[in-house]
Amino acid sequence: MTRYAMAVDLNRCQGCRACVEACKIENNTPNAVFWMHVFRLEEGEFPNTKMTFLPRPCQHCNNAPCVKVCPVGARYKREDGLVLTDFDRCIGCRYCEVACPYGVNFFNWRNPEEAWGEYQIPFDDPDLASVTGGAVPPYKNPDHDLRHGPEQRLTSGSAHFKGVIEKCTFCVHRVEQGMLPACVDTCPVQALRFGDVEDEDSPISRFLRDKESFQLLEELGTDPSVVYVGGNPPSSHAREIERPLTGV
Amino acid sequence: MTRRGIVTGGMIVTGLALMVLAYFAGAAPWCNTAVECSNPRLEWSPAIFVVGVIVAFSSALYYSMSKSDKK
Amino acid sequence: MTVAHSRVNEPLPQGVGRLSRRWFLVVGLATAGTAIGVVGWLVEHEQGMVATGMRDVGTMGGATWGLYISMVVYFVGVSFAGITVAALIRLFNLEHLKGVARMAELLTVVALLLGALAIVIDLGQPLRGLVNLFRYARPQSPFFGTFSLVVSGYLFSSLVYLYLTSRPDAARLAAKPSKLRPLYRVWAAGYEDTPDQRARDRRVTFWLALAILPLLIVAHSSLGFVFGLQVGRPGWFGTLQAPAFVVLAGVSGIGHLIVLAALVRRVLHEEHRIGMEAFTWLGRFLMLLLFVYLYFVVVEIFTAIYQPTVNEQRIGDALLTGEYAPVFWGSVAALALPAVGLAWMAVTRRWRIGWMVAFGALVNLGAIGKRFLIVAPSQTHGQLLPYPVGTYTPSLVEYAVVLGLFSLGALLIAGFMKLFPIVEMEEATP
Repeated sequence: MTRYAMAVDLNRCQGCRACVEACKIENNTPNAVFWMHVFRLEEGEFPNTKMTFLPRPCQHCNNAPCVKVCPVGARYKREDGLVLTDFDRCIGCRYCEVACPYGVNFFNWRNPEEAWGEYQIPFDDPDLASVTGGAVPPYKNPDHDLRHGPEQRLTSGSAHFKGVIEKCTFCVHRVEQGMLPACVDTCPVQALRFGDVEDEDSPISRFLRDKESFQLLEELGTDPSVVYVGGNPPSSHAREIERPLTGV
Repeated sequence: MTRRGIVTGGMIVTGLALMVLAYFAGAAPWCNTAVECSNPRLEWSPAIFVVGVIVAFSSALYYSMSKSDKK
Repeated sequence: MTVAHSRVNEPLPQGVGRLSRRWFLVVGLATAGTAIGVVGWLVEHEQGMVATGMRDVGTMGGATWGLYISMVVYFVGVSFAGITVAALIRLFNLEHLKGVARMAELLTVVALLLGALAIVIDLGQPLRGLVNLFRYARPQSPFFGTFSLVVSGYLFSSLVYLYLTSRPDAARLAAKPSKLRPLYRVWAAGYEDTPDQRARDRRVTFWLALAILPLLIVAHSSLGFVFGLQVGRPGWFGTLQAPAFVVLAGVSGIGHLIVLAALVRRVLHEEHRIGMEAFTWLGRFLMLLLFVYLYFVVVEIFTAIYQPTVNEQRIGDALLTGEYAPVFWGSVAALALPAVGLAWMAVTRRWRIGWMVAFGALVNLGAIGKRFLIVAPSQTHGQLLPYPVGTYTPSLVEYAVVLGLFSLGALLIAGFMKLFPIVEMEEATP
């Protein structure tokens, strides 16, 4: 039985946010929605400060509180470990969002047509148009109109309807085709790894073997599928010193 | 047992039975590790549960509103 | 008695069927308020929920549950009192409270309708919600209890109770010619005032009251569980949520009932049917519930300041001295001052209806504040990962919708009062 997991090497992550960008482009997420997030954390008081980066995708917990509380079963866990949202069934109650200890959920506050806001880039500029060929972001990935998995539900991509919840899907539309999630694929220093942890010979299993690791908020019993090596969990006094754009 | 008593009792039992069946056998199971945990075993079971509640309490309406026994 | 043959319409009691100028004023204002709420909701439906002040928790630094969920919990809480009072009257034969029984039941029904409406308003996909809840609802989610027991079971059983206890009055009114006679004939549905019928009604309402009380405890507790079972939300996760929900529900409901009873008593001149004994009993009950709830508040504060976790300290600071302090201390005052006032009246045995109305309104404001403080701070200040602290301010749309909900409630009650006597009629002397 396949069980997907992600390993994050904190020794390698240098905060370039290529994973955040790749996720946004791959999944067409709108303004202020960042399914992948990288914390830039500072601890201590100047001059004794320490700075770390902490990538935080959805943890795809094996004992997910979001799955438990969904009143209609739109948020569900697959046998292969992915926790996904059925955009056709979601009623937008946002219970999964308040139940999640990691803050990975995003609600579609706007109509999809208005969700990407205005851009400062003049895309109808003829010089720019000659380069972009008239295509205007966000580039729509056609895989997101398909239904995925044996359960055949609409689960990938962003901003399908207003009033529904969404979050990181471990790029289910890519994984089902044997590819890696966009963030993992893009990371220039291979800080992110992904694969089947039930298979002892998979790259991720071999990577995790004999290494000290931790999970975020382990004490809550959520049993995440994301494992961190090469560092320590954020202390409760860590402060985030860079924030993404938050205006919806 | 009067006929009224039998029908009233029957409605209460039926209502409770619908509730128990809908909750334990029809609605989605208590788990969160597989796709089947997100689907009811029988669709519309929650509606059946609500119908069961309504039938059970409607027994009070029947009991009160049925015609008096002519003496 | 040859009244049935008379062609002259007799005036109906308690102002039923007579639309006065004052009534038109109240209904006019309530309709305007409801219209404002509808407009607000239409704006929200058109633009998406970005029209509210809610935003995502975490990176977006907002609260995703706000005023609407606070009002859901509040209205379901208010509904507690109605049927509890009605049930207690029946179970313990509290004769002096009979005058408020029907308005208590009506308060329950209206409050539950408003609570259900508030849930639907808060959904991102309301129509889907109505269908999918009946089709797919999962018992593992605490919402299942809220949806199936509270909204469906509790509402229906309260309607049955209200209806069955109103049939005798409908039959009495149907015996006289009036412009609403056809309505009363249908309402009475063949009610005959025989000893057998009265015995049956006594039996039914007794058992119904007995069945509704546990349903009520389960219903309010399940609402508490919606919050109390979330391990990832400091400030929510805990064992006190369910009991505190039940007690604060009683506080807001009895407070509301006192205000409504005083209003009806004054407007309809029903001093003899809604006597001081009724207010004294309600006042004592409210005082008791307030002391229990204030005890819970003290326990909460003490636990939050003695040796809190870092996250609980952040929330505690925000509540006691920070961003939420005005709402927190205002709500505590709005609950504590009436408690002291009621205790004073109880000790000196000088119950003043005017003061009790003020206290009833005040505890409701305190209850709304406390409900809001349960919902928002744990989201803005209770993130376990190091996100920065967030903020939430309700938008104009949210205030408009809440105004619409209260106005709709007033409209429903005012409308009922013109169709049916809101105070149980005394038996007609033959």
